[in-house]
Amino acid sequence: MELLGYFVNALTPLNILMALGGVILGTVIGALPGLSATMAVAVLVPFTFTMDPATGLIALGAIYTGAIYGGAFAAILVNTPGTPSAIATTFDGFPMAKRGDGSLAVTLATLASVIGGLVGGVFLLLLSPPLAKVALAFGPPEYFWLAIFGLTLISALSVGNTLKGLLGGCIGLMLAMVGVAVVGGDIRFTMGTHMLLGGFDIVSALIGLYCIPVLIDLVATPDPHLKVEAGKRGIRLREAFGIAWKSKFNVLRSSMIGTVIGVLPGAGGSIAGLVSYSEARRSSKHPETFGKGAPDGIIATESANNATVGGGFIPTLVLGIPGTPPDAIILGALLVQGIKIGPTLFSQQGDIVYTFIFGLLIATALMLPAGLLIGRYAYKSIASIPKTLLVPTIAFLTVVGSFAIHSNLHDVQMMLVLGVIGWLLNRCGFAPSPIVLGLVLGQIAEQGFVQSYLIGNATGNLTGMFFGRPISLGIVILAAFTLLYPLVFAKRKERARKRAVDAARNFTDSDGETTLPVADITKLRFEPFAGLKKLAAQPRDLAGMVLSVMLIIVAVLAYSQTSSMSPMGSVFPSTISVAIIVLSIGLLGLNLVRKPAGKTAGHGTDQGAGEESSSRRVALVTVMAVWVAGVPIVGFGCMAVLAFLLLARISCYEAMTRKQILGEALAGIVIVGGLYLLMAEVLLIRMPTGLLF
Amino acid sequence: MRKLALAAAMAATFFATPAFAEFPEKTINYIIPFNAGGESDVSARFQQPYLEKISGQSFVIQYMAGAGGAQAWSQLNGMAGDGYTIMGINLPHTILQPMEKDVGYETKDLTYINFFHYTPNALFVPKDSEFNSLGELIDYAKSNPGMVTLSGSGSNSANHLGQVQFDQLADITTTYVPFSGTGPAVTAILGSQTTGGFNYVTSGVNNGDGMRMLAVASETRVKAFPNVPTFKELGFDLVGGAFRGVAVPKSTPEPVREKISQMVTDVNNNPEFQKKMEDAGFVLTDISYDFINDFVAAKSEEYRVIAEKLGIANR
Repeated sequence: MELLGYFVNALTPLNILMALGGVILGTVIGALPGLSATMAVAVLVPFTFTMDPATGLIALGAIYTGAIYGGAFAAILVNTPGTPSAIATTFDGFPMAKRGDGSLAVTLATLASVIGGLVGGVFLLLLSPPLAKVALAFGPPEYFWLAIFGLTLISALSVGNTLKGLLGGCIGLMLAMVGVAVVGGDIRFTMGTHMLLGGFDIVSALIGLYCIPVLIDLVATPDPHLKVEAGKRGIRLREAFGIAWKSKFNVLRSSMIGTVIGVLPGAGGSIAGLVSYSEARRSSKHPETFGKGAPDGIIATESANNATVGGGFIPTLVLGIPGTPPDAIILGALLVQGIKIGPTLFSQQGDIVYTFIFGLLIATALMLPAGLLIGRYAYKSIASIPKTLLVPTIAFLTVVGSFAIHSNLHDVQMMLVLGVIGWLLNRCGFAPSPIVLGLVLGQIAEQGFVQSYLIGNATGNLTGMFFGRPISLGIVILAAFTLLYPLVFAKRKERARKRAVDAARNFTDSDGETTLPVADITKLRFEPFAGLKKLAAQPRDLAGMVLSVMLIIVAVLAYSQTSSMSPMGSVFPSTISVAIIVLSIGLLGLNLVRKPAGKTAGHGTDQGAGEESSSRRVALVTVMAVWVAGVPIVGFGCMAVLAFLLLARISCYEAMTRKQILGEALAGIVIVGGLYLLMAEVLLIRMPTGLLF
Repeated sequence: MRKLALAAAMAATFFATPAFAEFPEKTINYIIPFNAGGESDVSARFQQPYLEKISGQSFVIQYMAGAGGAQAWSQLNGMAGDGYTIMGINLPHTILQPMEKDVGYETKDLTYINFFHYTPNALFVPKDSEFNSLGELIDYAKSNPGMVTLSGSGSNSANHLGQVQFDQLADITTTYVPFSGTGPAVTAILGSQTTGGFNYVTSGVNNGDGMRMLAVASETRVKAFPNVPTFKELGFDLVGGAFRGVAVPKSTPEPVREKISQMVTDVNNNPEFQKKMEDAGFVLTDISYDFINDFVAAKSEEYRVIAEKLGIANR
């Protein structure tokens, strides 16, 4: 068979070395938030020109797939997605790590990533031309509905707190509107600064919203970051295999979703992860465990996002349309090498393409041993490293990572500001995930909507454009399902309870003995307003009220600004502002109905407040602010070392000998220096220069 | 004290005269103000090996995307002006952006060095489109005003300008649908989401099988597509597209500017480079440092006229 020949071609020692090296480098880069596959691939492109095209491609593909996988490490161990693809990994990965199942989570992520990557690769190998048609069938309305579908996940993510979840989503959508609009070209909500012209970078927002709150809370208590596992259980590979086997349908479904979404240019790994997470939750028998450390959540996200790698290469190689930014660089590299892209590529340059695809498959398979090994050390070091080193190291990574995105200090400043706001919002019951979802999906939703409107309006078929296309309709139905699911699920649970009670009553009738009073049983009925009543019965949430007033003010201001924008550029921001106002008034009204919180009422967030140190929190934020402000004046390395030492002191809870402190300072210099060299010398990022170094 | 001053003076001269004739002596950073994979990136990648051969130094391509390039251009003059930082620069972007709004730089603040190529606009329709020629499309648009939808990259971009000019010259009304880049705009054409689209000629090379190019907005036919007529041939005076070149921070000394311009020109004269660029659909130009300011001034006037029609010439 012809394909077998290409497989043998791919098995040269050089190719395997490239695949292994690429995967390891990619995993490390992906694990560091801010450093992306795009960066690593861009740096390595010139080197691949000296290689055989297939070998060069294998190296680039291996880095790419490794980086997508590596994003899971930071998500699981530090609650910060290393790449946007790993957003949904944080939902269950971090809770697992927190309760002491970190190594199991990492192993599961590795298994899922490898399987997902292989599935995506096999689709790329066998079904590229037909799947490429999917990319073309997806027009503006489909992208719009896909984004809306992604947003419905908010309702599932914030069960019991839907109002705040929706408000958070709107905040994220509003953040996505900042900057120069793609459709319409208006400058929106930049508050007169040039810094916001480019909008909020998603990666810098991710680092800020997820990582800074972790840091702030880390310094507040002497508790360890992660619970260390009891006993020696190693990487728990057998257990992970067992879980993955039980969830084989989840793995396959998520991998397929990942492949198809990967095929869509403009969707990408983050949406693939979110959609398959949402689907896994919907079809799970225990949806209530999702978000609290459900292995199925990690499996769904990680198999989906690695499947997008293979999927993304399909439109890249068949149509010449890159699915993702790293694909775009690889496409550029192919062009420069004089390889003509298109459907003929597979027939005329099969040796290059098929050798590359097999190389990618080999690289994905190599991810298993490489990933397990890296994961073991990553988990061990994060779990055992003393807080005095962990806090400054993570802090340094947030600064370095957000800087690296565009070699721009603005991103670092935005990261820090968003992080502090995110922490405050979190304390008031606004989780970061809905905000991030809004930010990630806002642009896609807006562009899809405006483009659909323009086309529909021009062709005189507006309704047909939005509701008359089969794929659109399919997505709309799925979205409706996800949105209504919590209600349906509640009903189903109610029924199950009723059934149990009925059984108990039968038992009572026959036996005459029971602990359940019959009067209670008749009360059990599905009441749609029960949830609302329950909400109103909660104690008044003062912080939420203050926030809703502030949100109303901001939204009114934003709305007043939309009048000077073009119709294309204003439709989304004005709609979102109105939504924020309505939701905030709802929240405000709900809290007015509630009774003021009594002294005994547990506020959730207040519990254990006595042990938490607010002064350390303030100190951490202050040090980081001074650090970011000082970089352009004093210099990057100098400020980093200084801040490292200060943060170590802030997070220190025990008396340390002088020797220990000296050792710690040395470790700090080594960590800062090492990462500085990685960025400046390996990834060739321009570092800011100041007076010193 | 005098000794110290003398030493300082000596040190100053020592550091101040790194003899520009020797430039370049170390790695040069070549910043692309867009994401990787676009026309700016690809053409810089084509240049990279030849620039390295000529200068004997390595060129590192970096990306600083944001706000349609404005993010990077507004920071250019704050970077070190030693010749080791050069930045890709595009027209009409750097003329239209500051004309429309305050984006943190002005057209004349930038130090243009050399425009080495341009990508003409072209009008594409899907392969299975009912329109086989520009005339057919215009006839249809005349009888169905607004019904023809044309995709393009972004609002107020080179593609958008092309569509506006086309409407005016052909006396028709089409609907422009902005997308977030040339990639998504081309996808919309390939998938028949829009009637057609204004895009750069280079897109026709990658996706040639899925699209039909009706006309190209260049002075003469593009070498990669000898069979596609120009708008001019068809009676419409439509010439436009995007020019790409390099710029440096304002503080870069004159001799270094000239040297960089010369390097870019030398690469343009390399037959191998010419062949590669032309095969990929780029049209080479050689607007070197001596002529570039006049060129930008002339283009500014030209674009202002169109921008006024578009209603975006606010400043």
